[in-house]
Amino acid sequence: MNARMFAARAALPVVAAVAVGAQAHAADFDWKKFQGKTVTFLANNNPVGLALLTYKADFEKLTGMTLKVDGYQEQQMRQRLVTVMNARSDEVDVFMTLPSREGEQFAAAGWYADLSAMSKNEAAAEYDLAGLSQALLKAGTFNGKLTSMPMNIEGPILYYRTDILKKCGVEKPATIKDLEAAAQKIKACDSTITPFVSRGLKPAVAYTFSNMLHNIGGTYMANGKSNLCSPKGKQTLDTYSRLLREYGPPGVVNYSFQQISALYRGGRAAMSFESSNELRTVMDGGERLKDTGLAPFPAGEAGQVPTAIGWGIAVSAYSRQPEAAWYFVQWATSPEIQKRMALQGIAPPRPAVANDPEYRKWIDAEPVRKEWQAALDVLATKGSSEVGYPIVANPQSREFIGQAVQDLILKQKTVDQACAEADKALDALIAQK
Amino acid sequence: MSDAAATLTQDRQRLELSALSAPAVIFTVAMIAFPVVYTIWLGFQSFSSTGKQSFAGIANYSKLASDYEFWHGLWITIALYILALVLQLVFGVWLALVLFHAKRLPGIVRSMFISPFMMPPVVAGMMWLVILDPSLGAANYILQSLGLPPSEWLASPTWVIPTVALIDSWQWTPYVALIVLGGLQSLPPSVYEAAQIDGASPFKTFQRITLPLLLPTIVTAAILRSVDLLRFFDIIYITTQGGPGNASNTLNVYGFRVGFEFFNIGYASALMLTLTAIVFGAVLAFNRLRGAVAW
Repeated sequence: MNARMFAARAALPVVAAVAVGAQAHAADFDWKKFQGKTVTFLANNNPVGLALLTYKADFEKLTGMTLKVDGYQEQQMRQRLVTVMNARSDEVDVFMTLPSREGEQFAAAGWYADLSAMSKNEAAAEYDLAGLSQALLKAGTFNGKLTSMPMNIEGPILYYRTDILKKCGVEKPATIKDLEAAAQKIKACDSTITPFVSRGLKPAVAYTFSNMLHNIGGTYMANGKSNLCSPKGKQTLDTYSRLLREYGPPGVVNYSFQQISALYRGGRAAMSFESSNELRTVMDGGERLKDTGLAPFPAGEAGQVPTAIGWGIAVSAYSRQPEAAWYFVQWATSPEIQKRMALQGIAPPRPAVANDPEYRKWIDAEPVRKEWQAALDVLATKGSSEVGYPIVANPQSREFIGQAVQDLILKQKTVDQACAEADKALDALIAQK
Repeated sequence: MSDAAATLTQDRQRLELSALSAPAVIFTVAMIAFPVVYTIWLGFQSFSSTGKQSFAGIANYSKLASDYEFWHGLWITIALYILALVLQLVFGVWLALVLFHAKRLPGIVRSMFISPFMMPPVVAGMMWLVILDPSLGAANYILQSLGLPPSEWLASPTWVIPTVALIDSWQWTPYVALIVLGGLQSLPPSVYEAAQIDGASPFKTFQRITLPLLLPTIVTAAILRSVDLLRFFDIIYITTQGGPGNASNTLNVYGFRVGFEFFNIGYASALMLTLTAIVFGAVLAFNRLRGAVAW
């Protein structure tokens, strides 16, 4: 799978056909068709899942169905899903999924129901399938099967303290070199502040590392082989690890989004490279509302190619009531619900919602929200959904990327050693069927 | 009633009792046997990245021999086990002696001493993760206030295992202390009276009387802690997820990731059965030791 460029917004023929079909059946659509049924939803307790579930009662009122929610943190949710799916159990009807991470794997394992047929036969008039981000729909399509519907759009962005940058005489960094120079100046200017923080926890590194790799112009694979030891790959490994080693907080190898957001929100970091989804957490309490600027990650030799992914919502291939499950999926990704979620800070995967007057009013209420939306617009137009290796064993590939970065942060290996070991392990992974 | 008739009645009663308890026994045996048998079966299966399953024979077990992560995980598991067990036994005996001799200690203080092991390990892990955070945590703040250099604690490949052993010891030393306290309270007072008459010092009394007599109790505590420590998972999963790098990747954490993150359930089963064999081996060794020190 090549990097899915979000700039490619041309409608997919399959989606267009589905949309036309859906309109044909819209007149017969009845939200109460599955009244009395119970749909089980395996949810991630992340901001996206939590925002959706605030409207659970509305779904039950609209359809007469009962929504049974099985909510877990991300890793526990996957653990539960793997157990249920390996047992081919019908316990779960609908689940949240990250196509950029597990899409290839779950699709190859046959765990996703094909939504293209259901969306064609059972779609409400107001659903507007064609209004969803075509790039995200494409990211959720494997072997011609539409496996999940997009719930949001997100990616790592740079949160920076305008007051500290001003105090230290630093401009907002436009390039990766500027970023390092800014970190150096901040370190000299105020030793109590962490100049830069990003993900250092092994399985979490790929999310932010991929953005830098693509900005620098590197690729994970070339000619079917792992490409971390290419000049661009080594440059990225070196730069990413050096930034965290020299300018990151102590213990950064255990940092994922929770620690990064806590550090930045607490006023202990000047620049933080973290998910756009963390806006609400970072702004919680209001301390960072007036002194924070937001931007896509600074450009490298290849410009700005931000990581842009989205959570999806899928129907289990083992569900005994896929049509009823689809009703929930349809409701959860409808324009109305996505607009309401957007007002809670969940970036909508529908351009029309992003332009909705009520949403624009919410955006315009705070300057930081305007910058957030501007960064998201860059993600939507220039982004790549490639996080880790574009192979079935993508989750495992992220471990080897993280290992190489950690080895460098901790100075346990040279760049040549770290990339060679990672390439060797990743080549073996790529060769696996 | 003749002997023959009495025997017949007894046999009938035994049969009735067996019949009545059979469902419970069968259910219990099935509940224990099924997961074990299923895991053994899974250990002979191969799972592709996509979950496709096929018979693998002993391939999963032969892979263990050449798997660096397995040997590394085994080493980490054993290092953590020895370090934490020694800490918990030494401080557990010490705490038990304090509680035994401090008769006037208020109940609330006694309760505080033993409260850590009542805390769920996940909560303990979260709490220590915050305390030991190198940037924001209280531990480094205290060190620096005392003029000492800060530590990276869980983020240092060198210090992560001692730190995890300390967290586990904080939680489980009181449990060992309670067991040892029970042993102390059951020691015969006559030997202490004899030692007192002979003019033995408190240290000699501890060295020559208390410790030898307590050994069976200490070994029992060691068996109970061994089972938990060799299967160590929750605190590491919460605090480091096996990192930094793979510095705290115990066999249990490694097996979990192979099974639930990389979906290789067959190899994960082989890993876990090997770990189970190690746990059994440790328990058998301690059982023999308990027999040797019994009095």
